[in-house]
Amino acid sequence: MALKQVSSSKCFGGLQKVFEHDSVELKCKMKFAVYLPPKAETGKCPVLYWLSGLTCTEQNFISKSGYHQAASEHGLVVIAPDTSPRGCNIKGEEDSWDFGTGAGFYVDATEDLWKTNYRMYSYVTKELPQLVNDNFPVDPQRMSIFGHSMGGHGALICALKNPGKYKSVSAFAPLCNPVLCRWGKKAFTGYLGTDQSKWEAYDATCLVKSYPGSQLDILIDQGKEDEFLTDGQLLPDNFIAACTEKKIPVVFRLQEGYDHSYYFIATFIADHIRHHAKYLNA
Amino acid sequence: MEEGAGEAPGLGRSAASKDFRFYHMDLYDSEDRLQIFPEESTRMRREGVQAEMTHEPMRGGVKGKAQRDLGEEVDELVHLYGLEDDHELGDEFIEENTPRIEVSEYPSYMMMGSEQRDWGLTGEVAQGEDLGFTGWGSAGQCRDLQEAYRYSHGRASEEYECYVIPEEEDEEEAADIFCITCKTPIRASEKDQDEHKQHEVTPLSTALESAKDQIHKNMFKLEKQIIEMENFASHLEEVFITVEENFGRQEQNFESHYNEILETLAQKYEEKIQALGEKKKEKLEALYEQLVNCGENLDTCKELMETIEEMCHEEKVDFIKDAVAMADRLGKFLKTKTDVEISAQPDFEDQTLDFSDVEELMGSINTIPAPSAPVINPQAPNSATGSSVRVCWSLYSDDTVESYQLSYRPVQDGSPGKEQTEFTMTIKETYCSVTNLLPNTQYEFWVTAQNRAGLSPTSERAVYMTAPCPPIIKRKEIRSCEEAALISWESGNLNPVDSYTVELTQAEAPGASGVTESVVGIPTCECLVQLQPRQNYTIYVRALNVGGPSARSEPATVHTTGSYFPLNEHTCHLWLTVSEDGLTVVRSERRGPAGEPVPSDTQFTRCAAVMGNLIPVRGRHYWEVEVDEHLDYTVGVAFEDVPRQEDLGANRLSWCMRHAFASSRHKYEFLHNKMTPDIRITVPPKKIGILLDYENAKLSFFNVDISQHLYTFSCQLHQFVHPCFSLEKPGCLKIHNGISMPKQVTFY
Repeated sequence: MALKQVSSSKCFGGLQKVFEHDSVELKCKMKFAVYLPPKAETGKCPVLYWLSGLTCTEQNFISKSGYHQAASEHGLVVIAPDTSPRGCNIKGEEDSWDFGTGAGFYVDATEDLWKTNYRMYSYVTKELPQLVNDNFPVDPQRMSIFGHSMGGHGALICALKNPGKYKSVSAFAPLCNPVLCRWGKKAFTGYLGTDQSKWEAYDATCLVKSYPGSQLDILIDQGKEDEFLTDGQLLPDNFIAACTEKKIPVVFRLQEGYDHSYYFIATFIADHIRHHAKYLNA
Repeated sequence: MEEGAGEAPGLGRSAASKDFRFYHMDLYDSEDRLQIFPEESTRMRREGVQAEMTHEPMRGGVKGKAQRDLGEEVDELVHLYGLEDDHELGDEFIEENTPRIEVSEYPSYMMMGSEQRDWGLTGEVAQGEDLGFTGWGSAGQCRDLQEAYRYSHGRASEEYECYVIPEEEDEEEAADIFCITCKTPIRASEKDQDEHKQHEVTPLSTALESAKDQIHKNMFKLEKQIIEMENFASHLEEVFITVEENFGRQEQNFESHYNEILETLAQKYEEKIQALGEKKKEKLEALYEQLVNCGENLDTCKELMETIEEMCHEEKVDFIKDAVAMADRLGKFLKTKTDVEISAQPDFEDQTLDFSDVEELMGSINTIPAPSAPVINPQAPNSATGSSVRVCWSLYSDDTVESYQLSYRPVQDGSPGKEQTEFTMTIKETYCSVTNLLPNTQYEFWVTAQNRAGLSPTSERAVYMTAPCPPIIKRKEIRSCEEAALISWESGNLNPVDSYTVELTQAEAPGASGVTESVVGIPTCECLVQLQPRQNYTIYVRALNVGGPSARSEPATVHTTGSYFPLNEHTCHLWLTVSEDGLTVVRSERRGPAGEPVPSDTQFTRCAAVMGNLIPVRGRHYWEVEVDEHLDYTVGVAFEDVPRQEDLGANRLSWCMRHAFASSRHKYEFLHNKMTPDIRITVPPKKIGILLDYENAKLSFFNVDISQHLYTFSCQLHQFVHPCFSLEKPGCLKIHNGISMPKQVTFY
């Protein structure tokens, strides 16, 4: 599992790097971004995983969100993986922007066509953390996860499927109930088949209902002018209702005037970093 | 002493006793003393020395003669120094300034002098004996030593040498043992001779040692005695001066008294003489007047006589005519009584001379004068207590006072008509602690001195003030945070006091200093004191006026953990009640009777709210509020002047979190100026943490139980804000104060 450094740039006293490696889970070359805060030079730091949304690579977040300053101040290592396997030559892989390349949906595919490569869930919850823990000055006991849109969905399910693994979770405009939205239905059908009961294992709202109740503080920011919100792709209300029912702590902030873009993310990224730092540095 | 003298046989006691002053001089550093000798005496001394010097060369050669000459030499020297000493004594008597010389005027001097002489001798005798004994061993060596000794000690030793030498020269052979019985060194060969045969002997060196020891001891004693005597002398000197002063004063006293009597007598004489003169003048004037009247009467009589005589020579008819008229006139005249009583007696009326006042003056000469008015001191700082003052005064040093009368009365500016009771007490000392006074009150004091001769005039009046009563700390109103505490108190005094002092002691804890710190000069009944975080303090307050500080107030304790604030009942809506501990706000089911009192300006009227009194310290303040999750409440902060007739959060002067529970849904609003972000919270908090951060201009809310951050206001706090609480429905809020900030909170 040799890491190949693609780039390294100094940023807020730390280093923003990109690495490439051969993924065992995904059977392809994968890139991921690592931010090493200044504190990482002298000791082990907590890790915060960022999962990006549809069509994104590792580049979108590190170049647009402006998270570095907050991560530098709080001393967090931030890992931003790609959103899907790439170049696997699967039929239909490049056909649409919301399925295949750039749309891994953070699930382990079970359908024959995809199941060899599209194992993004295992990649972000097992292989990548192992890789990070082995190669960077991080504390494996202190990790959190957050993401945007499809990545927000990914963050929520990773946290909800692994109680206690992540100290905290947060999301920007996440797909809260993918089994009920068009994107989710399309992706889950493609990756998991038509048996909808299998889908529930990757649906945050469904997962909440069976969540065992380990302490988890969820912060969700949602732009009120987000076209996908009105389009019914995100369905936060379902998630909030489920969490209210199950008394899972959520603070959901409907931000007046904001859309689905990285401008929205950049506005509130510091709040999210602090939210995680509160638990990671406690 | 005696031994020392005895063991130096060369020094006859007679010679020594005359001679002692020489050593005495040496002891007191002859070089310096020489300066004050008259020229003559110095010259004589020099002659004496010369005589010695000329004599010296003979000594070595002619032993026999030396011995023979010795007597003469001694006499001569004694004579010489005796003379000098006489001069010295004379000089010394003139030089009255030297303490040692004053001593010489007293009989004890002789004794002391002789002791000093002994001391002086001992020093030299010790040396001399060294020489002497050694001399018996080796004459040549002795000579060298003598020379050396003479060289270093000057004339004093030269003279001494004269007495020692004969002994030395006497010995043909060195003695080597010492006969104790005869107290003389002898040669061992002589031991067997008849004289010392039965005597106890000891080796010469042993005898030498013991003799030396003895001498050293004596020297030590003498040194002590010298010091004692010097002290005694200086004491005597003081007594001397005192006697002189006292007699001088008494002389002055007599003089002034006699002058006074003479003046009084002269005055009396003048008065008497003047009175006599006046009396005389008065009498003479009266007599003179009488004399004039008498003459006038006489003239009138003569005139009548002449008229009658003329009438007699007239004709009958005329005579009859005139005689009738004349008879009338005569009758009239005779009717007027002629005053022949002497109006003034020539003799001198008996006048008693009153000498009683003179007698009194005479009598008072033998006693003491009445004292002059004492000087009452102004009040010394910090000398008063709440019920007493210490009054001090002084007298003129010349006065003799048997007792003082100290009077006082309270100073009252308000009603001059009402005379205050005066109190008077008799005191022996020049100070008095007057007790049983009222606190923080001015008293006027004055004092008179008295002795057998009478009372002095009254001193000036001085105003003293008792210390104030201790203030009363308003414990329920103490506010604190991690860095400071705001203490307020009631004066405890009706009259104003000058200032207050706050004393604070860190409670006994590991690492606590236990030192009491004070904040002084506080003009008002409130003080913000800087403290260390997370400590316990005991706080006292004292009131101060010119008289001093009051006793400590009852203590109050402050814990600088978190922020502590009491609720401000002046702001409390009529429907709300605050519990006894000031930490629970209750809105009851039933409203009060219809006739509710009219709320004051400071009370909330629209929303059922109450404000807390947060300490005015910019920093971070954190508190928690326990709520029922179905209760409608509003919690947050507001400026002190937030409109009371508006809802909290409905203006720019308040920032609040509001919870409303309706149709089984929780609604959370974070209100400022009627606006709220759209925030949904899935777990209703049971305990809300509120963090007010002046530095970062933020107000944050937390769900304490799950450490969940709910919302953060960014608010420009240009002045201090206070916590506020409101209940929209019946229920209660419990405020948790003085708790440390949870760590999660510190991220916001």
